[in-house]
Amino acid sequence: MELLTQIAGSVLSLGSVAAMLGASLLGVLIGALPGLNPVMAIALLLPLTYSMEPLIALGMVAGIYNGSMYGGAIPAILMRIPGTPAAIATTFDGFPMTQRGEAARALKIACWSSAIGGTASALALMTIGPLLARATLHFGPAEYFWIAMFGMASIGVLVGDDALKGLMAAVLGLLLGTVGLDNLSGIPRFTFGEPWLLSGLDLIVILVGLYALPPVIALAEQADLKGLSAAALKLGRARLGWAEIRGMVPTWMRSSFIGIGVGILPGAGGNIAAFLSYSAAKSASKDPDSFGKGNPQGVAAAECGNNADNAASMIPALALGIPGNVVAALVLGALLIHGLQPGPQLFHQNPALVGGFMAQMLITSLLILLVGGAAATRVFAQVQRLPGVLLVPMILVLMAVGVYVINGRVVDLWVMFAAGLAGYLLEKLSFPLAPVVLGLILGPMAEQSVRRALLISRGDATELLTRPISAVIAVATLGLILWPLLRAFQRRRRAAARD
Amino acid sequence: MTARGQDIVLGVLFAGLGLAAAWQAMGYRGASGTYPLVLGLGLATLGLLLALRSLWSGARVPRPLVDHPRHVAVTVVVGAGYLALVPVLGFYAASALVALVLPAALGFRRPVFALLAAAGFMVVVWLVFTGLLAKPLPTGFWSRW
Repeated sequence: MELLTQIAGSVLSLGSVAAMLGASLLGVLIGALPGLNPVMAIALLLPLTYSMEPLIALGMVAGIYNGSMYGGAIPAILMRIPGTPAAIATTFDGFPMTQRGEAARALKIACWSSAIGGTASALALMTIGPLLARATLHFGPAEYFWIAMFGMASIGVLVGDDALKGLMAAVLGLLLGTVGLDNLSGIPRFTFGEPWLLSGLDLIVILVGLYALPPVIALAEQADLKGLSAAALKLGRARLGWAEIRGMVPTWMRSSFIGIGVGILPGAGGNIAAFLSYSAAKSASKDPDSFGKGNPQGVAAAECGNNADNAASMIPALALGIPGNVVAALVLGALLIHGLQPGPQLFHQNPALVGGFMAQMLITSLLILLVGGAAATRVFAQVQRLPGVLLVPMILVLMAVGVYVINGRVVDLWVMFAAGLAGYLLEKLSFPLAPVVLGLILGPMAEQSVRRALLISRGDATELLTRPISAVIAVATLGLILWPLLRAFQRRRRAAARD
Repeated sequence: MTARGQDIVLGVLFAGLGLAAAWQAMGYRGASGTYPLVLGLGLATLGLLLALRSLWSGARVPRPLVDHPRHVAVTVVVGAGYLALVPVLGFYAASALVALVLPAALGFRRPVFALLAAAGFMVVVWLVFTGLLAKPLPTGFWSRW
């Protein structure tokens, strides 16, 4: 009870409420701008949160995340351009509704569906997260090492199209994580005599470069000189009747379950949740042919599904230190910059903080109804009148200022720029970036765990495999790495049999 | 270059990076070197696997690295110039300059609109970073005034 009072006090403080509200508005704005995405926005935001209270920083992250996932629906419905990758499925029925003159109704359905999906997801985080953390409380260094390896392998294998490149990205991230003074021996590694490298590569500097510069270059490539005309953004008025709301309840429930399930799985993202929810709604419909032609249930399924992924992706991140997607990896980064180590101990050492963040995910899901309402949506739609080329230098400036204020070093600007250019090229080569980030985050934990386990066992490496839980996780990790190989082998055999 | 050729180059580059890291790690004492040594060798192995796989069965289809080379080149050059100017001109002057120059270099020909957008944006940046967050930003040669 005392803890609940403490959580309520900190989450409902003026600073926290202002952070959630402001960030939700900003999130919807960012989501509404095609080319900008929540990952980029949170990466830009993190440097600014260094000096803030952790719960204010996390409240901003929660607001931007939930807000931008709804914001992505605005251009998806109005222009058939998904504001975020997770809003692709929203275009299928949202844009046909706009063509029929029902844009306002589609946006209202998207707003309600986003809020309901996000709320269900936050409730799942509040119930499943602590249970998972309690189950993993007795883990030792060997288990932590294998959990880190499992997380790396799952993100490496499941994110992107090519498992081999995913694993390369994961190992590269782990290697980059070794730069700087070795925590256990104090020996400098890969510093090449540069004092600024002694503290290692700054996670936020790399994150801003990797996730903000590639979209900026992509915006510059599009060279949008005009923006949208005011006429294209004119919205009518719409009211949802109770009968229509009641008709959507089964879709909302189904999509919420799908989104939560997808969110918990490492590597799967909001776009997968939206597609699966959309397919499930179509399969369950009595009139599947109307999907893709402006069926409101299609908008409801896609938006509810992609928002139900949001908080659920934090479950493995907070409980195990394994992020379910890139935003969850950024949340881990936010915790680390405030000196908090994600994982089971976090729930026991900082219950008020974890509980507060979970409550903020819930509140910011509900705030969508306020900031994504009809009037606000009309305002946010107007940002699409801004020519894209004007946004390019603005984001560049925000990146530079954000990175500079972390350490007050000009060299960080160049590290960020180099990371961004490398990220841009690597993405073009179908090389996933999420495993690199995860390697940077989990690398130090993995190294310390394996070295501690070996110290405890006096150098006996079998200790890493002989404890029952660590053996299970090790086998699962190996299975995950071998899975794509087995699939490729099976495909080749089938092809040979066909020939 | 085809996707196959790109992946061969990428694989060889990563194999080289892994070997270089492993070589460097051999100079670190005890367990401090073992972990990066294993990672370096792992990266080299995966890089070689990628190169060999691409050599054997890579897709011989074009995969452009850049869709609009001129726009990318302009953005990278102006962006690098901006970062180089930050310590000289200070954040605000360099940022205002890039907010005006980059859209023009990308073909935006509405100077009044660009000027108003840049001015409005710089006011917001100043309010947030200097006014609200009180973050010290380099002022460059303006600090002498």
